[in-house]
Amino acid sequence: MSIELWTEKYRPRTLDEVVDHEEVISRLKRFVEERNIPHLLFVGPAGVGKTTTILALAQDLYGPGYMNFILELNASDERGINVIREKVKFFARTAPMRSEVPFKILIMDEADSLTAAAQHALRRTMERYTKTCRFCLIGNYSENIIEPIQSRCSVFRFGHLSERDIRERIRYIANCEGVKLLESGLDAILEASRGDLRKAINILQTAAASKGGYVDEDVVFSVLGRVSPKEVRQMLLLSLEGRFLEAREALRRLLLEEGLAGEDILRQIYSQVLRLQIPESWKVRLSEMIGEIDYRLTQGARPEIQLGALLAKLALAGEEMRR
Amino acid sequence: MRDEERPWSERFRPRTLREVVDNREALRRFLAWVRSWRGGPPRRRSAFLYGPPGVGKTSAVEAVANDLGFDLIEVNASDYRTAKRIETILGRASSQIRTLFGRRRMILFDEVEGLSGQEDRGGVGAILSLIRGTASPIVLVATGSPEMWEDRLSPLMRVSELIEFRPIPFQDVVERLREICREVGVEAEEEALELIAERSNGDLRSAVNDLEAVARGRGTLTWEDVYWLGDRDRKGEISEVLRGIFSSKSFDEAREVLRESPIRYEELLEWIYENLPYFYDDPQDLAEAMDALSRADIYERRARETQEYRLLKYMFDAMVAEVALARKGSRGRGLIQEVRRALLSLGLPPSDLLIREGREGVIVKPTRWMGKDWQPLNSLLRELGGRWIREEGCWVVPYFRPPGRIRHLRRSWWSRRRLEDLARRVGEKCHVSTRTALREFIPYIRAIFKENRRLGVSIARWLELEEDTIRWLMEG
Ligand SMILES: Nc1ncnc2c1ncn2[C@@H]1O[C@H](COP(=O)(O)OP(=O)(O)O)[C@@H](O)[C@H]1O
Ligand SMILES: [Mg+2]
Repeated sequence: MSIELWTEKYRPRTLDEVVDHEEVISRLKRFVEERNIPHLLFVGPAGVGKTTTILALAQDLYGPGYMNFILELNASDERGINVIREKVKFFARTAPMRSEVPFKILIMDEADSLTAAAQHALRRTMERYTKTCRFCLIGNYSENIIEPIQSRCSVFRFGHLSERDIRERIRYIANCEGVKLLESGLDAILEASRGDLRKAINILQTAAASKGGYVDEDVVFSVLGRVSPKEVRQMLLLSLEGRFLEAREALRRLLLEEGLAGEDILRQIYSQVLRLQIPESWKVRLSEMIGEIDYRLTQGARPEIQLGALLAKLALAGEEMRR
Repeated sequence: MRDEERPWSERFRPRTLREVVDNREALRRFLAWVRSWRGGPPRRRSAFLYGPPGVGKTSAVEAVANDLGFDLIEVNASDYRTAKRIETILGRASSQIRTLFGRRRMILFDEVEGLSGQEDRGGVGAILSLIRGTASPIVLVATGSPEMWEDRLSPLMRVSELIEFRPIPFQDVVERLREICREVGVEAEEEALELIAERSNGDLRSAVNDLEAVARGRGTLTWEDVYWLGDRDRKGEISEVLRGIFSSKSFDEAREVLRESPIRYEELLEWIYENLPYFYDDPQDLAEAMDALSRADIYERRARETQEYRLLKYMFDAMVAEVALARKGSRGRGLIQEVRRALLSLGLPPSDLLIREGREGVIVKPTRWMGKDWQPLNSLLRELGGRWIREEGCWVVPYFRPPGRIRHLRRSWWSRRRLEDLARRVGEKCHVSTRTALREFIPYIRAIFKENRRLGVSIARWLELEEDTIRWLMEG
């Protein structure tokens, strides 16, 4: 069956195809040539090719059967370090068969969501199996990775993709798929995706799926309207209008029915605030409020109460603004 | 003891594997492991079953032993504190394959998470050496989340076949409760069972216990019965406390209210959060009070995480005293306004309904035969926590609303289940976590379904979604 989601369909299969990150890629290629890699730590923002790069490296290194030599774990989905350890052990115990490379690769994505204690346990596991298994840890910020792991890994930093590269890649995909992509549509995609190629591709595909047969600015905006949860914007507006109870109902829907994490809702509130038609000085104040709650979310136990407190502050701000 | 007299969690305990609810994958693996003993001891001589409480771990062991004809020797937690005791109890049992009557044996160590600290070193060590030499399958069962005990038990986990049990899905808990009600002859509202299920967090045993607590010896069961778990006094108490908080004028007065409160503070926080906006209608007051609740939430977590429970007093101060003092310009009088507003929204002439404040709550009494207007009115007032009292011919809406999360969960469980399926599949196919999938992919997939169903379906097929999920996506 053909691959239906374009982010997967156009995921580079070799290091050569990876867009941008020349410096990183060339260093990694050297590892592949030498048939030896150290433990790796990839850090950088979302959707810039961290996961892609390690998967491509594996394909370059092992060839078509690469799936037999790698194990992908996602720390934010695994439960308990012992379960992880068990999986790692089972995988890493044996050297790869029928391969001239003497080690396997274990990919631990979103490793920065592991607690420090779990990371220490992971570090011990890394050491024990170094002979037969190399680890590639992936995360957004290196600050969230404990020092002893950082010092055992070669750290690779992935920056945001350049506007030019995203433009080119999106155009390329549109061409391959026969999408009529107008310049204004491309601009809008770029503006919305802010250096995140995964997002750009998802927007493109959704826009191309709509009926018109072409993708221009309006089509992109209507996609953005549909995906950037309307509800978040609505919730924001409701609370600024002082309709707290309705805003709280919307919040519950987002948390419970859409299953969104508190942090993710907050991030969207933030980006909606930036788009509000209000004086700059108010934007600063709202940003400060959001920042405070963002921190409290990490300290508290009930996301709904934390976000509820934000809604109440926004309601107050809304009233002051109207005065 | 007669069957009817036994506690329900015993009476309705599964006897065979077929009766065990859910966790099919774990059961399959466990069964396969036990079967693998046929040709002599397999590579792993012990199985380590773990998972949250009340999901059928011990039941599964008993059922498998029963189905496959093993004699199950259960060793109590208190018996394996020391190596010596284990040896005396099991020394012979584990090295002989069969009992006097030629049946095979299986040895069960339940609640191994209780092995703790130094004095149990012997315990873990003794079990380990037992595992090395055993001629019979040894099953270890640990309850709770692995972070709690995995450091201590990892030597055992390392040598064992690890089998994870998951919480029982909401709908299956409801289903099981329904079966039990049928069997004991209780007529239960669907909402009542759903509320029990929701509270159980996938712990079937506690759900059955709760059901028994409210339903034993009764003919019917309503949502209200469950909400108060057979303790209607608490309802009055919570109302008292909330009334006290929302009307206190000073720090001391408010703290006094709490001192006399019999209600668990976590629960009280949720009640305050739920009802606050109906009383605090001045934005300044509301923002201040909500800020206090947000800090109360933080203080509570600090107290719990550091186990310094003296820190809880700051939580109480914030959620009670600060909240009380925040009320300055507000005029809100609680749900009665909300009831009026809701009735207005239905567009019925005001003379159709008599509204007054009773002892238990707002009383809404129709002055005419409502006919087809009854249904929408009823669901509206139910939303607000009210219920129809047939004998009196009126609705009573309590002055305070129970925490809304609970009502919401009931409505949303189906879509949450579909979302889980979707997020898991996207995660696997697109190399992201379920959380990222929910955020970065699912909104687009839903939008595609709306615009272009054919493409939507082919994406769904590629993702190998369940049919139910595809249907759910089509319905938008
Ligand atoms: N540097 C890149 N080169 C080519 N495609 C990319 C690049 N970065 C992201 N993509 C596209 O976006 C998708 C997501 O990228 P991914 O590697 O998963 O990002 P992350 O950095 O979050 O791990 C890929 O499947 C690919 O289609
Ligand atoms: Mg990634």
